[in-house]
Amino acid sequence: MGDASATEGSSRTDPRHRLGRRARWAILLVAGAGLLAGSAFVGPVAIPPGTVAGILLHEVSGGALAPHPCGSLPLASPACQGNIEIVWDVRLPALLLAVIAGAALGVSGATLQGVFRNPLADPYLLGLSSGAALGVAALFILRVGVAEANLVLPLLAFVGALGTGAIVLAAARRASRSVETLLLTGVAISNFLSAVMLVLVLANPIGSLQVTFWLLGGLGGATWARDGIAFGGALVAGGVLSLYGRELNLLQLGPDVAQSLGLPAARVRSRLLLLASLATAMAVAFTGVIGFVGLVSPHIVRRVLGGDYRVVLPASAFVGGVFLLVANDLALIALPTSELPVGIVTAFAGAPFFLALLYRRRRAAGEAAA
Amino acid sequence: MSGRPTPAFASERLTVRLGGRTVLHELDLTARRGELLALTGPNGSGKTTLLRSALGLVTPTRGEVRLLGEATRSLAIRERARRVAWMPQEEAAFENVPLFDYVLFGRYAHLPPFSGEGPADRAAAEAALREVGLWEQRYRGILEVSGGERQRVLLARAVAQDTPILLLDEPTAHLDIGHQLDLLERVRRFCRERDRCAIAALHDLNLAARYADRVAVLSRGRLVADGPPGEVLSEALLREVWGVVAELRRDPVSGLPYLLPRLPDRSAGAPAPRRTPPIHVVGGGGAAAPVLRALVEDGQRVTTGALPLFDTDLEVAEELGLPSASEVPFAPLGPQARQEHRALLDEAGTIVVAPFAVGPSNLANLEDLLGRAATVPVYLIETTPIATRDFTGGRATALRDRLVAEGARSVPDLPALRAALARRGDADR
Repeated sequence: MGDASATEGSSRTDPRHRLGRRARWAILLVAGAGLLAGSAFVGPVAIPPGTVAGILLHEVSGGALAPHPCGSLPLASPACQGNIEIVWDVRLPALLLAVIAGAALGVSGATLQGVFRNPLADPYLLGLSSGAALGVAALFILRVGVAEANLVLPLLAFVGALGTGAIVLAAARRASRSVETLLLTGVAISNFLSAVMLVLVLANPIGSLQVTFWLLGGLGGATWARDGIAFGGALVAGGVLSLYGRELNLLQLGPDVAQSLGLPAARVRSRLLLLASLATAMAVAFTGVIGFVGLVSPHIVRRVLGGDYRVVLPASAFVGGVFLLVANDLALIALPTSELPVGIVTAFAGAPFFLALLYRRRRAAGEAAA
Repeated sequence: MSGRPTPAFASERLTVRLGGRTVLHELDLTARRGELLALTGPNGSGKTTLLRSALGLVTPTRGEVRLLGEATRSLAIRERARRVAWMPQEEAAFENVPLFDYVLFGRYAHLPPFSGEGPADRAAAEAALREVGLWEQRYRGILEVSGGERQRVLLARAVAQDTPILLLDEPTAHLDIGHQLDLLERVRRFCRERDRCAIAALHDLNLAARYADRVAVLSRGRLVADGPPGEVLSEALLREVWGVVAELRRDPVSGLPYLLPRLPDRSAGAPAPRRTPPIHVVGGGGAAAPVLRALVEDGQRVTTGALPLFDTDLEVAEELGLPSASEVPFAPLGPQARQEHRALLDEAGTIVVAPFAVGPSNLANLEDLLGRAATVPVYLIETTPIATRDFTGGRATALRDRLVAEGARSVPDLPALRAALARRGDADR
């Protein structure tokens, strides 16, 4: 992890490297916003780029700019209204949800890697996402009305993620620092929860279509209201988590040393796990299970910026958001007409990445032993 | 007690039981400010447990440790960290944190919640780094510095923590002689000039005699001697506690005692300690390290091999002073390493196989075990199944199955191994 950060790691304190940190963040955020707007031009329905740009300007400015967004078509025409609906009420909410969910998964992955001192931890691999999805699946059994669903979904997802997190934490305490044991526990829990979900599906065939959506993971369910709720929850979780960078740094020294330095390690770990569960739940509640975002994002950040969790946490949120946004664009470009779930794209990108990480570690261990 | 000032550190009838074994027994020991107390005793005598009890990392069964008059257990974790700092024997560093930030970690207990380090904290870290002579290197990463520098960084962090009490667990374990002297000199000066109380667990009696104001000797969890080095260290004590025959001399310049161990002279009929056949541990890549530590802690004689140079297990074995067979890294085990390994196996009374990853180059370690289960007990620690650690296309798995067929016993983990060994030890008696 820290091998490539010999000089970057010093950026924390070396004043020579410190200048322009805010400027760099500003550039990144502007680039991210540009990517977000650019993504609105991609979709299964072909809409001329000029029209998309016009609609974005029109809606953002409340009609003051670009009064005729559809070019020659009048604003009130059904074709223009249809295009506005597609860009503003279908594409944009999905893109924002990609950013929010990606950021939530990124920050959650960074937190889990820190809490478990395990570079392969991730809400998906540890089963937190499956737990959240099971919570969501319970909704279809309880048959809550759609009106309340927007609030009940994240709540159930949170309960499911938190329950799974508690089991994983208990398992991690027993297995101490074995990377493989923790992962295998997560995989076993994940599989168990998926089996429970399949039972629910079979018991309730009407809900099965929706449950499949949550199993695959996608952005098709996005609405402005759901974006708002996911954003609120993710902001709370991410905001509080970003205050815990120093504590996560201390935890990397091991629980005993952290405690000797004044950190109540057990309590802080539980609290961090709770917040990571909340962030995961906010993503899963509306997008379903999207894997590997939480694994990949912190690794990219560490490569570039070093391992200081005060930087890793917010930067992983940023990278996670961009990652999912780009994955969604790729899904739309690769198969423009069939809605390829974005979770499949992240799996295509993330699973080989995970294997590479795992085998690099194992090879290092094998060579050391041989 | 009244009228006398409260000692900085006091263990009171401290009893600790761990895993069914009494590690500390009714221990009464005090240390005051301005004093460097050396805590010494053979492996497994309870030195580390005493330090960990003071830090609240081990819960006493009875009695307690008081820090400036208050029981560790009654203090909040943050308040503990303002009274006592710890320099652990080893510390895993994963991230290449700059030395300055690493020392700044020591200020955590002084920070208001959710706020960063202020000028006072930075000044404390700077002073501590200057004290250990590493200020110029403050931007280097912790993973880039040498073992000696790393120990000094850990000392600096403890100094920056600015506590009246300082606990050091084998602070010189990884250091060469020059750095050992340098580090202890710094600790002693720190104690005296800043009126701190330091307690250092030290293996090396000569270092203890040279630097400590007082030496406390633990043996099997009991305090057997406590006083100035000149009074405590004696040939009789060495024979009794360590089972070592040594000559006590006095340094003509300082007047301090030092010990000259004599090689065991069997013909002279010296009271050699009871010699049970050693336990040989086969491992690699760090798989054997916890096993080696645990067995040494249990007071066993331990050997290990065959390991490539620079292997984690070999480093731990060297640190623990264990006989081992070794080979150059990344090469198949050569005839000499195998011969050394077989010699150690021949001598062993018990063989333990740690859950190590088996590759083509160390497969011979398993091959050399064939046929041995008939004469000595062979234990396979299988925390992870062999199949997951088999990088030889199934040959290691086949060997493992043959060993089991020959009578080797599979145990699920280290505690199970210790339990099995303890059961056998009791049966022998």
